[in-house]
Amino acid sequence: MKRVAVVVAIVGGLTALFLFGLLRGAPDRNVPSNLLNRQVPGFDLPVYERYLAEYGPRLDLADHAGRPMVINFWASWCGPCYAEAPHLEAAQRRYGEEVLFIGIQTQERDARAAGRAFIDRFDFTFPNVIDDDSRVSIAYGLFGVPETFFVRADGTLAYKHVGPVDAEVLTERVEALLR
Amino acid sequence: MSRFYRTGVLAGVAALLLGVALAQDIVLDPRVFEIGNELRCPTCVAESVGESNASIAREMRQIIQEQLDEGRTRAEILAFFQDRYGDWILLSPPRRGVLLLVWLVPIAALLVAAGGLVLMVRRWRAAADAVVPVAGEDLARVRAALAGTEADAPTSDAPAPAPRP
Repeated sequence: MKRVAVVVAIVGGLTALFLFGLLRGAPDRNVPSNLLNRQVPGFDLPVYERYLAEYGPRLDLADHAGRPMVINFWASWCGPCYAEAPHLEAAQRRYGEEVLFIGIQTQERDARAAGRAFIDRFDFTFPNVIDDDSRVSIAYGLFGVPETFFVRADGTLAYKHVGPVDAEVLTERVEALLR
Repeated sequence: MSRFYRTGVLAGVAALLLGVALAQDIVLDPRVFEIGNELRCPTCVAESVGESNASIAREMRQIIQEQLDEGRTRAEILAFFQDRYGDWILLSPPRRGVLLLVWLVPIAALLVAAGGLVLMVRRWRAAADAVVPVAGEDLARVRAALAGTEADAPTSDAPAPAPRP
């Protein structure tokens, strides 16, 4: 009887492990950023044409030191980026005076036309820049797109959001930056 | 065909081949792939930077090449990526903190399994060597049966059994 119980326990444990592996789905990429509470890396990237008048041909992060920022990484091929885009634009219209919103097109090379179409579709009023070689994405330790970094006025990272942001996340995190 | 024209064509072909080689990582130092195989591709599933064809993995290989050209060591290059992505980026978890468990648990499991096996073998042996208590009546029956067998046993005069074919 005791032996049967041991065999049942072992087989049950292995079955549970097997089912866990089978059903746990895709690996979780919501890994806390290694940049948390550290200075975010600087960058100096080319700007899309529609922002030239306000920001010039390149946007250097150092020129905007002292302002809280929301840095959003996107790509034109990324479905969830389309889902979050209206929320980002709405947050920019609400908080844009106090917080600098920056969009970074990354993980796609030489995709200007697709990038322009993406920006025009959502009528982004915040600057969008081009990370053609994905170097900034690597500097920020990006796992994929979209990811959004909430940066304090002192340049340190307060929070990184993996996946599409919604109005609730944006309000909560931006309000925290302003407190 | 003029010499100028031929030189132009050859230069064009050489540039094209170089471009193809660059695009396929052919000109990268083999050490780039060795180091890349120790790094997890951030946007892939179960692929290393060394083996992935994702655009970010190709860019990371370029960064490794540049850092090797600058004279950085393997440890320094791994630390560069670890600084940005954390321990997650390393395919072999570092032997410290909670991650030490990843290394210790399999060893502990092996030791426990080996210990269990030794205990089982000892128990089996002890069971085989143990004297089985027999009732006096049963013992007497066995002795009687044995005595009868010995009495019935063939003598040396009896004909030997025929050999088996």
